Amino acid sequence: MTADRDLPLAEFDALRARYPQGFESSLVLPCLRRIQELRGFVPDSDIDALAGYLSVPRVQIEEVLSFYTQFKREGVGRWHLMVCRNVSCSMRGAERVLDQLSQRLGIAEGETTPDGRFTLSTVECLGSCGTAPVVMVNDAYHENVSVEALDAFLARFS
Amino acid sequence: MPQIFVDGREIQAHAGQSVLAAALANGCDLPYFCYHPALSVAGSCRVCVVQVEGRSWVDIACNMPATEGLRVLTDSDLVREHRKSMLELTLLNHPVDCGICDKAGECTLQDYHYKYNGQPSVSLDAKVRLTKYHPLSERIVLDNERCILCSRCVRFTREISKSNALGIQERGDHSLVRAAEDGAFEKDAYSDNVVDLCPVGALLSRSFLHRARVWYLEPTPSVCPGCSRGCTVNLWHRKGEWKVHALDPARNTCIERVTPLENPQVNGPWICNKGRDLAQIFERPRATQAMIKGTPVELVVAVEAARELVRAAKRPAAVVSSWGSNEELAAFDAAFGARFASFVKDDWLPQPGEVVEDDLLIRADKNPNGTAARARFPSWRERDGGFAAGTDLVLVWGEGFDLAQIPPTAKTIRLDGYASADHVRADVFIPVSIQTERRGHYTNFEGVVSAFSPCVAAAPSVADAEALFAALVPVAQAVA
Amino acid sequence: MPGRKLLMTFDVTGTSHTLADYRARGGYATLEKVLREMTPGDVTKEVTASGIQGRGGAAFPAGRKWQVVQLRDGQPHYLCANADEGEPGTFKDRWILENAPHLLLESMLIAAYALEVRHAFVYIRGEFDLPYRRLAGAIEEARAAGILDAPLFGTEFSCDIIAHRGAGSYVCGEASGLLTSLEGKRGYPRNRPPRLTVRGLYQRPTVVNNVETLSNIVGILANGAAAFKAVGTAKNPGTRLISISGHVEKPGVYEIEIGYPWRKFIDEDCGGVQNGAALKCVIPGGISTKVLTAEDIASLTLDTESVEGAGSSLGSGGMIVIAEGTCMVRLLQVMLRFYHHESCGQCTPCREGMGWMHRIIDRIVAGEGRPEDLDQMLRISRMNDGTTICGMGDAAGYATVGILAKYRDEFDYWIEHKRSRHDGNLECRRSS
Repeated sequence: MTADRDLPLAEFDALRARYPQGFESSLVLPCLRRIQELRGFVPDSDIDALAGYLSVPRVQIEEVLSFYTQFKREGVGRWHLMVCRNVSCSMRGAERVLDQLSQRLGIAEGETTPDGRFTLSTVECLGSCGTAPVVMVNDAYHENVSVEALDAFLARFS
Repeated sequence: MPQIFVDGREIQAHAGQSVLAAALANGCDLPYFCYHPALSVAGSCRVCVVQVEGRSWVDIACNMPATEGLRVLTDSDLVREHRKSMLELTLLNHPVDCGICDKAGECTLQDYHYKYNGQPSVSLDAKVRLTKYHPLSERIVLDNERCILCSRCVRFTREISKSNALGIQERGDHSLVRAAEDGAFEKDAYSDNVVDLCPVGALLSRSFLHRARVWYLEPTPSVCPGCSRGCTVNLWHRKGEWKVHALDPARNTCIERVTPLENPQVNGPWICNKGRDLAQIFERPRATQAMIKGTPVELVVAVEAARELVRAAKRPAAVVSSWGSNEELAAFDAAFGARFASFVKDDWLPQPGEVVEDDLLIRADKNPNGTAARARFPSWRERDGGFAAGTDLVLVWGEGFDLAQIPPTAKTIRLDGYASADHVRADVFIPVSIQTERRGHYTNFEGVVSAFSPCVAAAPSVADAEALFAALVPVAQAVA
Repeated sequence: MPGRKLLMTFDVTGTSHTLADYRARGGYATLEKVLREMTPGDVTKEVTASGIQGRGGAAFPAGRKWQVVQLRDGQPHYLCANADEGEPGTFKDRWILENAPHLLLESMLIAAYALEVRHAFVYIRGEFDLPYRRLAGAIEEARAAGILDAPLFGTEFSCDIIAHRGAGSYVCGEASGLLTSLEGKRGYPRNRPPRLTVRGLYQRPTVVNNVETLSNIVGILANGAAAFKAVGTAKNPGTRLISISGHVEKPGVYEIEIGYPWRKFIDEDCGGVQNGAALKCVIPGGISTKVLTAEDIASLTLDTESVEGAGSSLGSGGMIVIAEGTCMVRLLQVMLRFYHHESCGQCTPCREGMGWMHRIIDRIVAGEGRPEDLDQMLRISRMNDGTTICGMGDAAGYATVGILAKYRDEFDYWIEHKRSRHDGNLECRRSS
């Protein structure tokens, strides 16, 4: 997380220059993604600033934040474990992986460990069905996650 | 001008018009929720389905361009089946709490259900539970369970009031209409129009909440006096046969709510929030007692005294109310136009916190009939130097005039509908009726004339200004 | 080897996605040939003549889509590659993004030339981090090399391509939902008319094509429409990238020549059913296509006519293999949970119908199912057939109708006995 509470305007200016004229509204998703990368989530204080910078109605940003599953308005644990539970992953053991993770970490789906290290969630298809079961951890896909090798999997995350 | 056929009947459409709009304009009875003539097409409720002749499927009519020779059916078996299904699905998670919902009796969902479906739900599963009584603003309460997500309210704030104050959060059957978190909806001077727009009882006025069943009420057409736009409105109060007996009798005559009276020339289907709060203007404490220098007298006595003042005056002046109706102004002009130096005042000025003027409806002149009055008499605010020297009688009609401007030696006749502490200082004070007690017309700033009707009776001790002006003319002068 | 290849024609190495490697394979030579020798109209004619169908799921002929765009109409046109790849079971566009990003870029530039596009976009689902970085890397290479955002080969044609990320929403894979998302809003699909090729991105003419569809453009222009049509079948020319997963020994992305025999593909090229188990059924092309049993597919080939003749579709190419012993009730439950989660909520039948079907199947799985529940689900599917703004309502209907048509007995069993006939099992049991 950055100590700088202002928006990274230089970056946003460069991004804006890449898009055609009049496409400011299109920058809502990329800018929110960048803010979330820097802060871990999108703070309320940045919503007004972004709305002003892009000249879009504030309500548009609020709507976008609640519509898309990847945006968060509150922090999560250092490692966000997102277990896919769609068809192919379920067919290759995802339900057991989820169950084991929940037991191992002592938290239910949607919860964060008391030490703030892990948050456990379920997600829908990640587009990696060939290497099921798949767990997305923060930005990265962890593929072929098996119950048998769960220790090795968890050991990757300090 | 494309010609289309609806159930075999030839209909003239306009270029660019949808089949739904053309059909409705020609008296066809098609149900719809999300469509509204003043808003963009959402095409999301899926209720306005029709069948193009020859096709084996249905399409929504609100997004179907009326093209030359198009033939549609609005009542085939296929259309009926689909319409019924869409209504069934619309009601699937609806709480059906009509028993406690203010919209009952004027609810589109109720009406359509009974007309096009009428079957109870076949679902064995619990309904989705969402927020009830969510305060969308100080003025409006939202019930998300009743909401059918037609998005009319959201589109209204984007396209008409342009406050961008409403949006939809979450998705799927957990979607929630919500106000923007910066409080923009509180500041939207047109926010209450969403209550009219809402086809169901999701958006309700908090001031009207649980006040009365709508079938106990009747609407009286009137004109909002809030500014010179002169939006036409309906003032709602209890029907005589639904009087309350055990509660405060004022409940039987008070204005329970105000809704727009659609007017293509003036306000379209909207009014601003000030118009919703007309009860606060009309139901202020009234002046009901005639007085002579503060002493209560019978009305006829006061009229007699006033007439004597008028006869004796050598240099009379008058300050005319910009809330006077066209009829009252005509009567005033007939009675005093020749003799009195008359000026029109602005009875009301913009109040702190009030929108002064905007691009939609609100005008800076906060009086309903300044235009008609200023067509006859000059404006007081443009006058330099006050009353002419030697003015010995000033007739002040209506509110909003600083009496300190009157020469101390002049006599005063005061006419007013509302109570005020300074009435006791007038030589003669005569209480007059207000807009809701008589019929009349106002002329708005563009010259459009609109009518208002009475919805309550004036107290017997209160004079009718129109008749009063003629009565104040001394007999000798009248004859002359 | 499932037939001839058009796309997966090189070995994937640590550098095969780079500009240098792509050029070494002949990359960007076709773009040059097209710009020097053909008019935009010529290009569209060639693509139309090739008969290539969309490979995103809807199978709409690409050339016919391009033809709607009016050239020289004085307004900006846009091209958008659909890399949202959200259809469960599908992961083949990802292969292109990670391993052949320049193939996509060159194809898009040819398409942009044909459609008079100055700014093109690749809309990538938000979760695809590595694919995004590979594509972004390729774009930077191309810009640095003067291929993007610069006049090309002595012409005035120049086009920039922007990689734009989504943020987690299946309906943003629907072309109009994608564009609304690209405009920075909730990804709500739009009603037609107007078609997106008339009013799309910011109300301008826009072509949205799947990544794989576009990636074939280089080949079609390099070798000609006739050569493309010589591969595959008459009605369904070319190849398909199939992403195969589920109970199969060798899941992954394979390129098949269209018309290849189905069982051969599963049994020989993909190692057969996992653990040597018997095949129960197959979902052909993403969960929104109707399931076909082992008997159904016994003599079928992987092409549109064959699969559609059996009542299903190749869809997005996301093939899911299902072994005997899998509980189809639980499988449908996973699917309906997905559709319910992903419904955008705009239109009545999908918004209410998805939740209703999900609640019904949850109740069946909890042992409280009633006999009328199955017909109810069929009825809800019918209420979503052709009545919705986008195809998602229909898709959930196909999944439901397809599974109930073939495996209704498993549902009847669960309702009657309050438990699964297969212990609720979704995994492939080891054969003893």
